[in-house]
Amino acid sequence: MLLWFLPLFLLVLMIGMPVVYALLFAPGVVTLAVEGPRDLGILYRNVYNGMDSFPLMALPFFMLAGEIMNRGGITTRLVEFSQAFMGHLRGGLAHVNILSSILFAGLSGSAVADTSALGSTLIPAMEKNGYSRKFAAAVTAASSVIGPIIPPSGIMIIYAYVMGESVAALFLAGIVPGVLVGVGLMVMVRLMADRYDLPKAERIVTKNQTITPVEHWVSFFLLRLNIAGLIYWALTGPTSIGTEVIPGVDGAEDEIVTVGWQLWLTFGVSLALAHLFLMSMRSRVSHDFRLVCKKAVAPLQTPIIILGAILTGVVTPTEASTLAVAYALVVSFFVLRSMSLKDLWQVLGRSALASSAVLLLVGAAVAFKTVVATSGAATTMADVILGLSQNPYLLLLLINLLLFLVGMFLDAGPAIIILGPILGPIFTEIGVHPVHFAIIMSVNLTVGLATPPMGLVLFVASTVSREKVETIARAILPFLAVEVLVIFLITYFPEISMTVPYLADYLGCPEGTGYYACIAPMPGGGS
Amino acid sequence: MRLLHGLLWPIERLNGGILAAGRVVATVTLGIMVIIILAQVFWRYVLGAPLNWTEEAARFGMLWMTGLMAPVAYRHGGFVSIDMLERALPRVASSLLTLAILLATLGLLVVMVWVGWDRHVDSMTGNGRSASLRIPLSLIGGEDIRFRNWWMFLSLWVGVVLLTSVTVELILRQLITLFGGRDGLQRLVEGDEDMAGAA
Repeated sequence: MLLWFLPLFLLVLMIGMPVVYALLFAPGVVTLAVEGPRDLGILYRNVYNGMDSFPLMALPFFMLAGEIMNRGGITTRLVEFSQAFMGHLRGGLAHVNILSSILFAGLSGSAVADTSALGSTLIPAMEKNGYSRKFAAAVTAASSVIGPIIPPSGIMIIYAYVMGESVAALFLAGIVPGVLVGVGLMVMVRLMADRYDLPKAERIVTKNQTITPVEHWVSFFLLRLNIAGLIYWALTGPTSIGTEVIPGVDGAEDEIVTVGWQLWLTFGVSLALAHLFLMSMRSRVSHDFRLVCKKAVAPLQTPIIILGAILTGVVTPTEASTLAVAYALVVSFFVLRSMSLKDLWQVLGRSALASSAVLLLVGAAVAFKTVVATSGAATTMADVILGLSQNPYLLLLLINLLLFLVGMFLDAGPAIIILGPILGPIFTEIGVHPVHFAIIMSVNLTVGLATPPMGLVLFVASTVSREKVETIARAILPFLAVEVLVIFLITYFPEISMTVPYLADYLGCPEGTGYYACIAPMPGGGS
Repeated sequence: MRLLHGLLWPIERLNGGILAAGRVVATVTLGIMVIIILAQVFWRYVLGAPLNWTEEAARFGMLWMTGLMAPVAYRHGGFVSIDMLERALPRVASSLLTLAILLATLGLLVVMVWVGWDRHVDSMTGNGRSASLRIPLSLIGGEDIRFRNWWMFLSLWVGVVLLTSVTVELILRQLITLFGGRDGLQRLVEGDEDMAGAA
């Protein structure tokens, strides 16, 4: 009897009830009819419990950090930076659009935010450069999908929250697939450039730019510190520099101690090497190119701070998100000086507005999920799926089709909350690593953001470009094809997504587990 | 029509006023949440003395931010829905459909207001007290009072009440639109406010 809430949910959703209400309306009506009013209290309490979570707080904070960055003039900097690298290619601005999306993805966790930020600058620019408006809007929408795949990612925060996975592992696993989507889209643009004769563009948009002394020195030091950090890591990681072995006395184990002065010396040498390296690069590029790059250093430090803070285990993802907010504030107030207190007020208001709608949606979806669990829909579905086949490859294909279909009608967040707990355990059972499945599901549903009829990214692209949703939906088809291809690649080659978290040791495999045994455990959970 | 406008005016004023205030509070709250969590990191790493109330206080802020701001988002059309059918139908049918959806929504919210108060806010757990969040009366020489869950639970309930009030306003507006008085209505969204999602 209780199962009736699923068709009812689909019905009210399709006729246009807001998703939040549909998620509560359908189970509410059926619960009232079957169980009586007492159980409505449980439904209500689950909405509250679903929202009352500390890990979930990373959502509003990452949203805020992205908004501050965008308001602080970072979008234009990233676009100019991308253009300096790819503008001269055929279909230049389309490539620039995609590269900007990849870079922007490291600052924001939301495809919708990427579309509105990049779309409002790039769509008019592309039109002026000779592209059709629908093509410009389609490229923007298609590449914005990268936003929640590359960390930080709102969708993965939600997934980790619902499924109890590590946010850090999901973030790491998303990096390569995100870049892969970007590269795939660029290849598509390249193919289309030949066919439709897409125009080239200038590499440098504004000549003879100036840079403030503060920004100059900030990027001077940040750049050197980052490169020095890399060299330092390469020097100390594989060697024994900075450590000394004190032999154990009387059969006790050897003790390894760090030697401070050696480490400092190594870092000093790394810093000098970094400086020399950058000075040698200096003469090879033009003044304008150098300035454009310099202006992108401070913004692009954000993802390094976020990932660095999470990976070193210093802070939780939620705390890392506030560090990102603090960094964004420092950069836009003191380094770029592009923000006023009035801007800050507006940005806070916008982030609060957007995140409140999302948080309520999460709460409603959690309440819906509990009804799914108690109604037995989950076990029914598991039986149906496992009854079809036991072959992981075939099941993964089917599940991708299902997710794609769901993604067309449902926003990614609620879809993950409702389907994650049903599908996750089934696939863990047949030998798919939970993190791998999380990536398959997240990427698939993220691509669903760019498919009609419920494609949030399409809606925003339509608002920004004043082109009809249907028109953009047709123009986006070739790019969607690429993204579907990428979904299948990451589904059938776990190496793509799982190598980075494996190397960073975030997969929770017991020591001594081989690479393949770890990223694709044997069926039955025995790894 | 006069009657509808007469009914709409007070509730429009009421919602406008309360939600404007709620918006200010929610905006400030988000700022405070950031400061609280930064303080949490600072106290733990720099001062080496972790604070035990920061996490719960920030959650408290987040819940109230949602309760006060979600109705604003709803009023500004920020709750996503599939509007294919609505746009495909002729004008009158589409208006009627919207009205029906709004009425169903109203029913849902009214039940939630009732259930929420009865089973959540004014329940055993609602009257229980928090483990870590205290009102620091010891600062002024008194004894700390442990925070009642009630204050946290109230956030969602207030949110649902405000959503109900917004729905009533939207229903009246929809009725006026249905009878052809659309031009007389004020716009609800000011400026170029677009909604960003988590997605």
